[in-house]
Amino acid sequence: MRLRKKMAKKFSIIFIALWLTGCAPFTENNIIEELAPVTFLSLSKGDEGKIKISTILPPLSKEKKSVMTQEVSLIKEGLMDFNLNFYQEMKSGQMRMLIINEDLGKEGIMSVINVLLNDPDISLRIYLIIVKGNFEEYLENQLDKQENLDYSFYRMLKHYEEKNQGEISIVNLHEFKNLLYTPYSDPFLPVFKIENDAISYEGTALFQNDKLVEIITTFDDRIFQLLNNGHYLSVLPIPELEVVLGHVRSKTKVDINKSLSTMTYTVNIDSRIEEYRGEKQIFDPKDLEDLKKEIQSNLEKQTQVLVKKMQELNVDPLQLGIHTLKPFSKPMDEKKWIELFKKMDIKIDYQLNIEPLTDSNAKS
Amino acid sequence: MEALQLFNKNETYNGFYVMLMVNRLQMLYFFLIMPRFLIHSYMIWVIIAVGILSQLNILLLSKWFLTRFSSDGYNGFVQLFGKKLVRLLSFIGLFFILLKLFVIMLGFSEMVQIFMFPATDSNWLIFFILLSCLYVAWKGVEKTIRFVVISFFCTFWMFLFFAFFFFPPIAQLSDLYPIIPMELSGDSWKGILLILSSFSGPEFLVFLGPWFKTNNKTFRYLSYGNALTVIEYVSLYMASLFYFGSNYLSKSPFPIVTMGRYFQNPVIERIDMVMLSLELFNIVFAGSIFLLLFYGASKIANGKVDKPPSRVGFLFSVFIILIGMILVNEWIWKADEKQVILLNLQILAGSLSYLVVPIIMIVAMKIKGVNKHETPKENG
Repeated sequence: MRLRKKMAKKFSIIFIALWLTGCAPFTENNIIEELAPVTFLSLSKGDEGKIKISTILPPLSKEKKSVMTQEVSLIKEGLMDFNLNFYQEMKSGQMRMLIINEDLGKEGIMSVINVLLNDPDISLRIYLIIVKGNFEEYLENQLDKQENLDYSFYRMLKHYEEKNQGEISIVNLHEFKNLLYTPYSDPFLPVFKIENDAISYEGTALFQNDKLVEIITTFDDRIFQLLNNGHYLSVLPIPELEVVLGHVRSKTKVDINKSLSTMTYTVNIDSRIEEYRGEKQIFDPKDLEDLKKEIQSNLEKQTQVLVKKMQELNVDPLQLGIHTLKPFSKPMDEKKWIELFKKMDIKIDYQLNIEPLTDSNAKS
Repeated sequence: MEALQLFNKNETYNGFYVMLMVNRLQMLYFFLIMPRFLIHSYMIWVIIAVGILSQLNILLLSKWFLTRFSSDGYNGFVQLFGKKLVRLLSFIGLFFILLKLFVIMLGFSEMVQIFMFPATDSNWLIFFILLSCLYVAWKGVEKTIRFVVISFFCTFWMFLFFAFFFFPPIAQLSDLYPIIPMELSGDSWKGILLILSSFSGPEFLVFLGPWFKTNNKTFRYLSYGNALTVIEYVSLYMASLFYFGSNYLSKSPFPIVTMGRYFQNPVIERIDMVMLSLELFNIVFAGSIFLLLFYGASKIANGKVDKPPSRVGFLFSVFIILIGMILVNEWIWKADEKQVILLNLQILAGSLSYLVVPIIMIVAMKIKGVNKHETPKENG
């Protein structure tokens, strides 16, 4: 009797399993051979307010890849159109990057961000990138030469994100969203430029709310990395002084006076000179001291210009406003802060600590 | 065919089980959505304050467990209140049990649908979850209480994962400012009630008295369970403040699961799915306890307490619950503005039952003039 009962139990489980697969309430077909998990989407401005979406299909299998482009008015509509054109079904669960064209960024990307946030399939860790130039064209030209183009690009971004080492600005969806929605802060994104069939890091795009307003490049961008992103640079070349600082670590400190009219922004830098092609004898402690002062004033001047620019554009990617928050007082209204920020007198102060190249006690 | 043995009592469980049950019944559904209602950073203090209030309730409950009424179960209640009143009270209790069961089940199946099976009808999910609850409940109260160990060890460690959010670059101390309330709005009251309602759950243990082996250490075990809940609530809430910042918090419908999506692991990408599935053990445990309570209470309310539990009766009550749940899901839960009404109702009912039940027990005992020192438990 017992045995029969046990058998009946087992059979009922099998029966239920079969019945489940037959009368499946799960309507999506997720057979791996029939899926195309796209790794990235590239968005750019189309005609008459439309959006151009492109990606590489098929993303994974070893078939010949090709660039697909759709011009649509809604992003998800574009994904649907891809499905109608291609034998595999698009899935966004493996999406790693969203590449946004500069022109689209200038119009505001709030709606794009919200599309991504609303889809639970899309990871909150996908990288957002601004691209200068025609990315579709670049893809089409390069796809034959470099098959895993998208993957290697992703690996590059991942490499710089991992330890948050601040060589280039890397921003994922979650970070962008937080900067966008938190008061007293504006988001920023990395900018890559396409030139002569090559893609290279250009600088950082500053956003006012969700609109791209300015791209800071070269030296300004290096300073931005020091002040905000990662607080570390492996090399900081200062061409004007013909010097390269290496392993630059920074610590920033912000003091705002009580009347909220002046801000002192102190940057402490620990570094060492890695290359020098100027006139000074840097093994001489006195000359080194002079050089140090020159570097200091140079950095102060440049940073002053950069911060002034941010004030004029009314963007605050450095989240300076956060320093007005206190544990025991009511937070200031964001509009009031914006007014204050525009007029605020911001003093930049660099404290440079360069490791001496020789034993400073030794007599030369 | 052997008779269905739902309410048999062959063994009793010690304080350890009570501790796990207190903790798991407090970590059901509300903690997953709580941050989006609390928003302000000073609510951390409120969570701690309500946790202390809950501790007082625990004290009252432990006093109750030490009396012989507790271990007598139904007869104990009859001695305290009289037969008619017990019938009336269990009829009212049916409403509280149903409401709690509905909110937990519907809320959780909605979450499973959104994050795991977006293409599936949520009614199917409700059906499957309820089916597993039925399976566990079918084994009887004893086995169900024992199931709490599985449910506890499947879920309690999850909050440790969230320590990840306590470190930079995600955590900034300024996210917690201002740490004291600068202005109080009318909604603050709602927050307090919500927290109180989240802490509710242990009051249902009152009806499981016969299965517990209680002694002087019971209070300590109950307190451990409650304290673990406070720690879990505070750490999860602080993590969500760090992750979202209080401005975005109100815009995120399922903050804790969304945070789970941010975890990364080279082997499993969607850790949130694994966590949600494991959380299901807890939901099934609570669901089966409530199914049993519902069946028991409906038997008392019908005045059929002396009859043995019947298969048909139990299946019928679960079937009624399933139909009710699907209807509520279609008519109320799916529309967000109506869902809020149901949530508010549960917030009120949960806080009310958690505040009132222990007090009623103690007051009734005082009226009957029972002193616990004079009536030590025989099987204790």
